[in-house]
Amino acid sequence: MNLNRLLLEGWSANPWVLGGCSVFTLLFARAFGTRARWRWLIAALAVVVLALLSPLAALADGVLFSAHMTQHILLLLIAPGLLLLALPRAFTLRVAHPLARRLPLLGWAAGIGAMWFWHAPALCNAAAVSGPVRALQTLSLLALGTLFWWPILAPAERDRLLPGHGVAYLFTACLGCSALGMILTLTPVEICSVYQAPLAASQPWADFRGLFSAQHDRQIGGLLMWIPMCSVYVAAIMLELSRWHGAPAAAEELSS
Amino acid sequence: MNHAAAAPAGSLGPELSGEAVRAHWRLAWLSTVDHKRIGILYLLFAFLFFVIGGLEALFIRLQLAVPNNTLVGPDTFNALFTMHGTTMIFLVAMPALFGLANYFVPLMIGARDMAFPRLNALSVWLIPLGAALLHFSIFTGMPKVGWFAYAPLSETPYNPELGVEYWILALIVLGIGSVATAVNLIATVLCLRAPGMTLRRVPLFVWINFVNSFIVVFALPVLNAGLVMLLLDRQFGTSFFLDREGGSAVLWQHIFWAFGHPEVYILALPAFAIVSEVVPVFSRKPIFGYEFVALSSVAIALLSFAVWAHHMFTIGLGRAADTFFVIASMLIAIPTGVKVLNWTATMFRGRIRLTVAMKYAIAFVIQFTLGGLSGVTHASAALDWQTKNSYYLVAHFHYVAVGGVVFAVLAGLEYWFPKISGRMLSERLGNWTFWLMTVGFNATFGIQHVLGFVGMPRRVYTYPDFTHWGWMNLVSTVGACLMAAAGLVLAYNLLRSLRRGTSAGDNPWQGWTLEWATSSPPPAHNFVALPPLRSRRPLWDSAHPEQPDPPVGPSGPLLIPDRGKTSVWTLIASEAAFFGTLLFAFIYLNLSPHSGREAAFSLDLKMTGIFSLFLFSSSFTLWRAEAAEARGHRAGTLGWLGLTIGPGVVFLAGQAMEYVLLYREGAVLQSKLFWSSFYLVTGFHGFHVFAGLIALLIVFGLIAGGRFAGRRSPLVAIGLYWHFVDIVWVFVLATVYFLPRFL
Repeated sequence: MNLNRLLLEGWSANPWVLGGCSVFTLLFARAFGTRARWRWLIAALAVVVLALLSPLAALADGVLFSAHMTQHILLLLIAPGLLLLALPRAFTLRVAHPLARRLPLLGWAAGIGAMWFWHAPALCNAAAVSGPVRALQTLSLLALGTLFWWPILAPAERDRLLPGHGVAYLFTACLGCSALGMILTLTPVEICSVYQAPLAASQPWADFRGLFSAQHDRQIGGLLMWIPMCSVYVAAIMLELSRWHGAPAAAEELSS
Repeated sequence: MNHAAAAPAGSLGPELSGEAVRAHWRLAWLSTVDHKRIGILYLLFAFLFFVIGGLEALFIRLQLAVPNNTLVGPDTFNALFTMHGTTMIFLVAMPALFGLANYFVPLMIGARDMAFPRLNALSVWLIPLGAALLHFSIFTGMPKVGWFAYAPLSETPYNPELGVEYWILALIVLGIGSVATAVNLIATVLCLRAPGMTLRRVPLFVWINFVNSFIVVFALPVLNAGLVMLLLDRQFGTSFFLDREGGSAVLWQHIFWAFGHPEVYILALPAFAIVSEVVPVFSRKPIFGYEFVALSSVAIALLSFAVWAHHMFTIGLGRAADTFFVIASMLIAIPTGVKVLNWTATMFRGRIRLTVAMKYAIAFVIQFTLGGLSGVTHASAALDWQTKNSYYLVAHFHYVAVGGVVFAVLAGLEYWFPKISGRMLSERLGNWTFWLMTVGFNATFGIQHVLGFVGMPRRVYTYPDFTHWGWMNLVSTVGACLMAAAGLVLAYNLLRSLRRGTSAGDNPWQGWTLEWATSSPPPAHNFVALPPLRSRRPLWDSAHPEQPDPPVGPSGPLLIPDRGKTSVWTLIASEAAFFGTLLFAFIYLNLSPHSGREAAFSLDLKMTGIFSLFLFSSSFTLWRAEAAEARGHRAGTLGWLGLTIGPGVVFLAGQAMEYVLLYREGAVLQSKLFWSSFYLVTGFHGFHVFAGLIALLIVFGLIAGGRFAGRRSPLVAIGLYWHFVDIVWVFVLATVYFLPRFL
């Protein structure tokens, strides 16, 4: 268990991820050019790279459930939020369809649903062992996360929820994720048995399993879903309210 | 008691006279729905129980004054600290804070009354009911389990006397009353604001009480869920919190502290609210950073739900959990610290008037900061293991609860008493109270930090004569006596001022918020006319037209939500917390290995599925009934409503049938943890369906009787509740009927 070696050699160069990120950046540049807020896009890409190519991803690959959980949060909660912040300030979805008013409901269901859906035991295990399923999971997390954040972080005010509704949206989302986190933390339920199955000899980081006992590993996963995830929602609630209060510094920064 | 009788008579406004009026007026206190009188009732109940709880505390301190004391025995001592804690939290602090909120929130937003005056009366009268239940335990053997009632100590094998039952019933009653108050406050703030009083302009007292009401709405039902489970354990032989059959005493702690930690903030936030009014007025400066105070209150409210496990470091949650909760608990110090900075910065370079109210507020800031800092030390798990069961912890939470909450309430009382009674309190007597209180408080609890560090455990009825323990305890007891003396001076001051205090006038402190824009005491209708509302200090603007505050936010027509729907949505939030707790308990109890799985297979999914369809179809028909009503089609409304009630009855009948069949098979409430929790969850859901049916039947009857001719009935609001009950059933089906089969 050599942490230095992990930090140096744990990086991978998955061509699909690198290619996907490049293509996405090109498309984004073509669509928005200099109007895009590139700082945020770079941050979003960095988070994706951190989640998918870094040593964290190496550990999430069947070694540690807690690493998997961190990866999950980065892809569902952090990267999509940063991506929306990267959109040009004037960007708006020109949908006149009456169903567009229901978008927040869909977004909420997407955010919570993604968390619960991919942690059904069969799917959690499948995503850990099968490449295509994992690719599907990654893409769906990013897409559902974007859908979730849209009513909160959409650049144009008319695409966003009213502050009060936004607070309720985020608070209930926090409850939805906390519920799963609490269950994982406080009960002995096992949802990803892959993280306890013997590892293949080819897995170079197998000895990092010894970092935590299986029980601790699961608890940390649950706690990550409970406390840090909720902290992100709480931060977003603070953003909603400070925007509503006529934008002291923090909100200026996030909307300019 | 004589305070209770004398205060209303004395607070009689000068405009009322004549024996007949006086007699009617006294009787009217029993049936009043006026938020001001209800507020005063709250305060009187709080004062009464403050005396009782204070005497209990005094006996505790007298017993501990010297080593090896025998004034009270161990059992009495345990009963005393149980009753003291329960009384002070549920019968003193919450009523006092609710009382001030009740009196001043409507006044500050320019409203005539609370949104639901009769519900308000119900809330306040639930307090004496709860208090009577709690104190009835005097005849049955008092509860000796602490205000936290940790299982298994609170279970029948260890506490067979009925005192715990009365304690449970009292807390359920008080909890329901508190939720009703919170629902009422939320609806009042959202729906009854005067024109121009946007949510961004409400005084911080209103905003913080508004935010606090949401904590109440979510936290109290969690406790009530735990309490009914404890009651089932004690009265019906289930074992939710007993080790046999896999019940869990730790689950009780989770439930209790999931309520208990937010409860700390339920007490602290309204205290912040009071201080945020008092400090600016007596510093002659607007509050520094209104937005920061407002937002940090929301942050505290949210975080308060995520840190309860720091009360449980010593039960062995494991290092991983401890670490997360250490960090989360320390996080909550940030928004609290922000507030302390706000108050200090408001005072900085202000023209401070050191009235008694201001002195209490300043003492609050200092003492609360000390309590907060010792709280941060408890947030560190490693330190908590050493100090948790010692007097250091007692010192900590009394610095928060007394040095913080009680001092804030006293600040509020000094500040608002002239408004409530029309008379000024004596500053001289007030100073006596303040100094007796401050010296007494710090003597009592300051030294307990040291006592804790030298190892004195809490909850012990006596102690051996160890070096230094004796004199330090004596100092603490002397301090407690000083606080009792402060209480006597305060009572005398209140009575004296009611009889011959100088007249206060409308605005004795040159306050800026709307309660000072009306007479003292305010007339029944509160306001004759309101000043224009453009900023957060309307009275400042009126008094200084040459130099008004900059307007806050746009001045359009207010967005006022429907009162009925607002209240039902809030009620739904509270019910969701209740069912959430029950479902969490179900999962917690049944996910441990080998429990419930085979039992779950004896549930008849086909039958349940059919009856569930009836319930779900009723949501559809209710929706059609609402649509028919929107079109003004009465027969159609009644028809669809009938089609809603029918399937609801069928569903209940189906559930009854299921119960009968299960009972025949021997799956009774007590037989297995799975069945206990099955009946708990489905039973409470059935009960709510039943309540929903009653509500729908009433609406049906009223519509049929033509009560709402030409108007919209409350069908949509009540319908929300029915839809909610149906949605809960989806979760019950998934959790109770399906989940155990797969895990």
